[in-house]
Amino acid sequence: MTINLVAVFFVAAALIAAGAFAAAWRRDLTAAVAGVPLMFAGAGVAFAGVARFAAAGGPQLFGQEFAVVLAIAATALLAMGLGIAGREGPR
Amino acid sequence: MDSLHAIGFYVSSGVSLAGAMGVALLPGRGLRGASMAVVGVGLAGIYLSLSAGFVAAVALVCYAGCAFLVASPLYRPLEGVVGPMWRQVGAIGAAALLAILAYSAFRGDFVHAGFYGGAFGVANLGRLFFAHDALSTEALAVLVLVAFAGATAVWRVRERTR
Repeated sequence: MTINLVAVFFVAAALIAAGAFAAAWRRDLTAAVAGVPLMFAGAGVAFAGVARFAAAGGPQLFGQEFAVVLAIAATALLAMGLGIAGREGPR
Repeated sequence: MDSLHAIGFYVSSGVSLAGAMGVALLPGRGLRGASMAVVGVGLAGIYLSLSAGFVAAVALVCYAGCAFLVASPLYRPLEGVVGPMWRQVGAIGAAALLAILAYSAFRGDFVHAGFYGGAFGVANLGRLFFAHDALSTEALAVLVLVAFAGATAVWRVRERTR
């Protein structure tokens, strides 16, 4: 049993699709915003997988660096989205 | 890459995907927040099995924050104006996206390279963050500052007008 780049990409694709499904399916907008970190998580897994298996030239840990950036940006965007969506709600 | 890493990767992937489906389908913000925390744990396991220990630590903290935000009772639910037909179209679009990405992943096994980054890689990542890509780090810091300051400002305005 081994890990390869294709398996990492499959997991990343499933996470991105699950996030898109959550964003499209939830009727409540504050719940739909929660799909954004899932999509960012999928992108981060893909970047980390490329850094692990396929980064031949340039800084080898660039994919890991971008995964860190995506995780932090996901939290910030979720906070901002929840703040804006919750603000426009009925009183 | 030994079998232990591979088992950890596949188990963590299952945990993360189960959490993601929980975020998408479970009712109640508490359950959705718990599912987001499960996503974070699974994601940290995936990163650990990909020799990215520092990324795993950051992801665990960030997704714990996301779980707290999703589960917080301070945000009012806001019903969208999109009809059920368009929601179903969006769900079918997500399935199509999965099919396209899975096909491209299946065709993506075209390059291999050795990995010399170490299991945790925090020193190399630190060089990248603070020397090679310092500008992007500062841009991210500005984004986080603006996002949290904006969320706080929105919250204060809402509390004042209540």
